[in-house]
Amino acid sequence: MAASTGGLNRSRPTTAHAIEATGLSAGFGGREVLQDVSLTLKAGEILCMIGHNGAGKSTLLRVLFGLHRPSTGGMRVFGETPSNYTPAALGAAGVALVPEGRGVFPDLTVEEIFGLALWSAGVPKSGQRERIDEVLDVLPRIKEFRGRRAGTLSGGQQQMVSIGRALLTRPRALLLDEPSIGLAPKLFQDLIRPIAALRESRGMAILLVEQNVREAFAVSDRVLVMRSGKFIFEGAPSELDDHAKLMELF
Amino acid sequence: MLFLQLLLNGLQTGAIYALTAAGFALIFGATKIFHVAHGTAFTIAGYVFLFAWGAGWPSWLGVLASIAAAMVFGIVMERLVYRPIQRHEGSFFTVFVAAFGVSIVVQNIIGMIAGRGFATVDTPLSFSAEILPEIFVAPMLWISLATAGVLFVALTLFLTRHPAGVALRALAQNPDLIRTYGLSSNGLSVLAFAIGSALAAPAAIVTAMTTGLNEAIGHHVMLISIAATIVGGIGSLRGAALAGMMLGIAESLALTVVDTQWAEAVSFLVLFGFIIFRPAGIFGVTQTR
Repeated sequence: MAASTGGLNRSRPTTAHAIEATGLSAGFGGREVLQDVSLTLKAGEILCMIGHNGAGKSTLLRVLFGLHRPSTGGMRVFGETPSNYTPAALGAAGVALVPEGRGVFPDLTVEEIFGLALWSAGVPKSGQRERIDEVLDVLPRIKEFRGRRAGTLSGGQQQMVSIGRALLTRPRALLLDEPSIGLAPKLFQDLIRPIAALRESRGMAILLVEQNVREAFAVSDRVLVMRSGKFIFEGAPSELDDHAKLMELF
Repeated sequence: MLFLQLLLNGLQTGAIYALTAAGFALIFGATKIFHVAHGTAFTIAGYVFLFAWGAGWPSWLGVLASIAAAMVFGIVMERLVYRPIQRHEGSFFTVFVAAFGVSIVVQNIIGMIAGRGFATVDTPLSFSAEILPEIFVAPMLWISLATAGVLFVALTLFLTRHPAGVALRALAQNPDLIRTYGLSSNGLSVLAFAIGSALAAPAAIVTAMTTGLNEAIGHHVMLISIAATIVGGIGSLRGAALAGMMLGIAESLALTVVDTQWAEAVSFLVLFGFIIFRPAGIFGVTQTR
């Protein structure tokens, strides 16, 4: 990024915590997937969340972004309680979600996807060029396929577009749901490193749900391990260097 | 000469079908709701224009009132009929019966208020003049073709250039993902119903000024819209509009070989032909849902 803090909304109050969620429970069809989960995402940190399939990681991200209503609990975003728990309200509060899978519409071009994101975020026409340039500074390869339909792009390119779309909203807390799925390790490194660098340049907090533990730990400050809807471990990535301990937790 | 005359008549009918089919296809494509009451929006719009004309309103006001009435009906159906059914995960059959029930109720109410039988707007624009030997054309032909053309181009520009139109295309592809972008799928669904229903109004006005309306005309319009959507390729607006035009022309040209009462059946013969030989339709689009 040309301006290191260009993405920050300086008028907002600063706080040590990007997201503070307490006592969240949520489920589907009578089955409780999250059980009284509390989580703190500190401003400017990368928090990695791992766990086996069905542990509740994606559900937690959906709850944190207002896509799924919790049965109990609440949250504060940058020290404030959101006006309501909808994606629009949480997006306005500075949260963005890159969903699991390819978060793009296959029949839309990359430019249309970016235009849609800017419109939904209420960015005026006059400010859109600057936002797009900011994203292209972070993910310059998008320039090569801006005019193409997302459905014709490779998995890595689609993931890049999905993340770029989220960055257009200048989030202060980015929720990434398994961005490495279907990507070669090298490709994932190329993708995650510039995003992780935004922690330094913008003070952006990142909650990273990943199965690719090695690469995720390399950029993370803290790790949470989830099992059956509860956190069973919290600590530094180095504490899980011991492979046996990691396997035990899984 | 008879062929040319029937072709011109078919173009006018086709323009009406193209508009209603494009509206139905827009609603179905974006929301996946099988809006069987789309023909009722057409009927309401037509009778509102008839009322406005009879009451001596300026024609532009009648057109606006007609468009507004169609939009309000579409929005009311989305909010009060389809959304509650979807909230309770009602089946396709529930949606179909509910919409069909509403259309029957509205048909009877219109019959009670406006009387049964055909009603037309008497205007010089409907009077035919001989433009070539034995070829008679009314100004309404050119008006209906121009209206359909302009509205289709405007709709296409809206869907490709305006973010709200792009959002409707996105909704058609993945309604869950649209929420991740911070957009409301419910709000976009209302927009699809408003625009799709509005497209029925000009078609209804042209019909009121040419062949006339009766309270049951919506059923025919709805069936043609569904046929055109399938023939054009589900998910394709240009396909629906083109198929609507084709069906209008086919109905008219069929009069060279069949009696008038069989003309409507021709649309469905075309439909069956497509179902058997080209089930994806003219511009078949692979569905992502």
